[in-house]
Amino acid sequence: MSPKKGYQNRIELLQGTLDLLILQTLQWGSQHGYGISNAIRANSKDLLQVETGSLYPALHRLERQGFVKSEWNQTEANQRAKFYKLTVAGKKQLLTERDRWSQMVTAMSGVLNAAGNEG
Amino acid sequence: MFFSRKRKDQELDEEIAAHLRMAEQDSSRQEALRDFGNVSLVKEVTREMWGWAALERFWQDIRYAFRILRKNPGYTLTAVFSLALGIGANTAIFSLIDAIMLQSLPVKNPQGLVLLGDPTAVHSVSIGSGGNERLFSYPFYKRFRQSNGVFTDLYAEGRSDQIDLKDQAEHPRARFVSDNYFSVLGVAPIAGRTFRPDDREALVISYDFWQRHFQGAGDVAGQKLTLDRRDFTIIGVAPRDFYGDVVGYATDIWLPIEVQPEANPGRDYRNQANTYWLQLMGRLKPGVSLAQASTVMNTVGKTIIKEQATAISQPAELKRIDGWKINVQAGAAGFSRIRHDYSQPLKILMCLVALVLLICCANVANLQMARAVSRGREMGLRLAIGAARPRLLRQLLTESLVLGAAGGMAALFVGYWMSRLLLRLAAQENPLPLEPHLSASALLFTAAISVLAVLAFGLAPALFATRGDVAAHLRESKTGRSTGLAQRFEKSLVALQIMLSLVLLYGSGLFIRTLQNLEQSDVGYRRENLLIAELDPWAAGYKDPQVQQLAQSLVSNLISIPGVGKVTFSENGMFSGSESGSRNLIEGFVPQAPDDNLNRSDRVGPKYFSTVGVPLIAGREIDEQDTPKSAHVVVINQAMARFYFGHRQAIGRHITDMDGKNPMTIIGIVGDAKQNGLREPAARRLYTPYTQVTEGDSLSGLRLEVRTRANDPAIQTTVLEAIHKADPTLRKPAIKWAQKLIEKELEQERLIAQLSGFFSFLALILAAIGLYGVMSYLTARRTTEVGVRMALGASRSHVVGLVLSETFAMSGAGLVAGAVCAYAVGKLTASSLYGVAAFDPLTVAVAVAIICGAALLAGWFPAQRAARVDPMVSLRAD
Repeated sequence: MSPKKGYQNRIELLQGTLDLLILQTLQWGSQHGYGISNAIRANSKDLLQVETGSLYPALHRLERQGFVKSEWNQTEANQRAKFYKLTVAGKKQLLTERDRWSQMVTAMSGVLNAAGNEG
Repeated sequence: MFFSRKRKDQELDEEIAAHLRMAEQDSSRQEALRDFGNVSLVKEVTREMWGWAALERFWQDIRYAFRILRKNPGYTLTAVFSLALGIGANTAIFSLIDAIMLQSLPVKNPQGLVLLGDPTAVHSVSIGSGGNERLFSYPFYKRFRQSNGVFTDLYAEGRSDQIDLKDQAEHPRARFVSDNYFSVLGVAPIAGRTFRPDDREALVISYDFWQRHFQGAGDVAGQKLTLDRRDFTIIGVAPRDFYGDVVGYATDIWLPIEVQPEANPGRDYRNQANTYWLQLMGRLKPGVSLAQASTVMNTVGKTIIKEQATAISQPAELKRIDGWKINVQAGAAGFSRIRHDYSQPLKILMCLVALVLLICCANVANLQMARAVSRGREMGLRLAIGAARPRLLRQLLTESLVLGAAGGMAALFVGYWMSRLLLRLAAQENPLPLEPHLSASALLFTAAISVLAVLAFGLAPALFATRGDVAAHLRESKTGRSTGLAQRFEKSLVALQIMLSLVLLYGSGLFIRTLQNLEQSDVGYRRENLLIAELDPWAAGYKDPQVQQLAQSLVSNLISIPGVGKVTFSENGMFSGSESGSRNLIEGFVPQAPDDNLNRSDRVGPKYFSTVGVPLIAGREIDEQDTPKSAHVVVINQAMARFYFGHRQAIGRHITDMDGKNPMTIIGIVGDAKQNGLREPAARRLYTPYTQVTEGDSLSGLRLEVRTRANDPAIQTTVLEAIHKADPTLRKPAIKWAQKLIEKELEQERLIAQLSGFFSFLALILAAIGLYGVMSYLTARRTTEVGVRMALGASRSHVVGLVLSETFAMSGAGLVAGAVCAYAVGKLTASSLYGVAAFDPLTVAVAVAIICGAALLAGWFPAQRAARVDPMVSLRAD
């Protein structure tokens, strides 16, 4: 029973961030799940590894929320895969999420710096 | 939806397959798979994002549950059957409670109705001076309807004497109603019209009566119906579901109060200010509260009662009226006698069936537990490969829910059938005119207790089956031995069942002893071979003096019938349902309380006491020398003699009415005889000669008491023929054995005794099945152990003893707990008991013996099976 619980926790922890990462990745054009996970890994210099157990639920959730839509297409290697692409709402959502993220960063660094000054 | 769901599933499969293919190209297949993680789990989590997963899963669980249940038909049938019985019994009792106690009248806005007086006095008529706080007279109604100021309108309705239908054996159930009856209730006729103020020989018939006698003919309005040789015109038909406002008395015909004396020849209630027979129901004016209505009834109403009583009452009696608190209450549930009579028995029965259901649930829980253990391997495996516990729990509970739903649906049939059976049992001679249909509330009730039952029997085994310890699951099913936890659970359930069975057996034992005690209680006379015939000569036009002559001549006619011993007559007699009372001044006695002057009374013919067998203690009994012309005399019972005279001489003293007039001399003292009610000790009672009726008073009934030499049914016919020959115009008398009248008095006690006996027997069987199941199961699991024991030299009888002692150890715990609860049961039911203590050792002993017998039987077969174990086979098997 523990494995599933683990996934759920991570989804919850990463929810906002993972969504942001996915939306950001899709900003450059449509991509399939494997591609998204590779892009995130590459762009974070292997620091962020998205687990499939979080990625696919997140993609399907974003699709249900209307931020992305999907269609089947051919990859460069001529294989069939499901490609996700930002919708108009998704683009708006990306901006909101980015704002939230920078607010978060500002807030976090403010707190951390204050703590550093005292110490 | 399910089609698109399937496509979506395929798409997900493909999507993930594509992912894996792409990953494989970048690394090895092994690595790709490892990176991806648990494929099916990823799919499951992803599917949850589709939103409809919850419903989907539920549907899946249900289908799975059906598959599992179909695969184990024995288990499923046993579980559904016992649930159907347990829930069905509850549905049955509840639908009776609903019909008798809870349902509102099928009228417009029943919540707006308010009733006055005693709602249980539906068949009563009280004739006498001084008013009545339970019922009202017609003159009172007419004035109060005009002058109350709180009701928009108020109707009156009351009982009728027996009515003959021309050329038919049937006596229609009739009620007299005021002209506004239907309009106040808001009941519209389905044919014709309802009453107008000037209607006289008119009647409204019920839907059933219309079907029965007119086959639902459309042109029934305007047709004639002959009641007691008088023609009435049918003016309308009441709607199908409207049986009147008296719950449990399905009215056939409604007649205007104005025509009462003509419809009940010889009985004029209508215009008498001293005849109290009407019940009142009305609708309050907007903004008027129940409390205000009560105040008005007890001020304005009482003033009218006093004014009207002044003309006929003695001043001493008028004072009592000030002390009355006339009842005013919500009228939505209508009037009812049976509600009063049966609410206590029904409440007791409801508790009984709830316990039966608990025993059923324990049985099903044990079945589930046994299956949980045998499915331990499956569960352990599923948990080990990553199935979520809540998911498995949901699945098991869904299985229980399916069982519960199946049981609940079957219970509706069981309940419907059982409530009809109960109704027939409840009143074998006069079936209660209730149609127990499964009302919306009964359906809701059944659904609710089914869900409760599911939780009761399903939750613990499901929690057990899905508990975290995976290793224990696998270990357990490998050795096939249940853990201590499962065994403790099963054993405590069996102990619980034994405890509940003991409680039920003890309770029904108490009720059976109560019934026996009441049946055998001393009524104060010889009830065997005593025939009682109720006559109504007034209906044939007789006046009181002619009735007295008729009675005397009938005595001389009947006495010559072979097989007849003595014959006498009386006004009320024993267990006839009618009762008289009188207020008197007693020579040498100073009353302390208002009711100190009140005594029950009866008028009796010559040799009444020696005929019915009431012992004469002192003086002489009433006989032929007491005539209308001779000095007025009275015989009193011992209770009365004791109360007024103590040890002083009573004979020769005088009793007068409250104004000191009409003196009577006490000529005899007789033993106490119970005339109505077996539970209470005989009340103070005086007997006057049937022939000596004081000025302004009148006779209210005539009953012949015939002592026969044997309990010969044929003699009833002979007596009836003799009465008919004496005067063919007399209506056919109701004739019954005194024994039957007394038995009828015990209908409710018999109902409780029979049904509690039935339900506790059912409970015992269920508990025995439970015990048998658990013992077989436990014994089967101990085969190896038994094999070892036998290999080491244990004899067969030793093995049998081993199993039986385990059976009794389990039952013993239940018995001890049950004995404690039995005491509580006795205390709780004390008010319904008669002649037994709350803790009756004999009843406990019998109940314990019955349970031990059942336990022996339940343990015997598993024990025999264990003793037949071949050590070699059982040891090799492991």
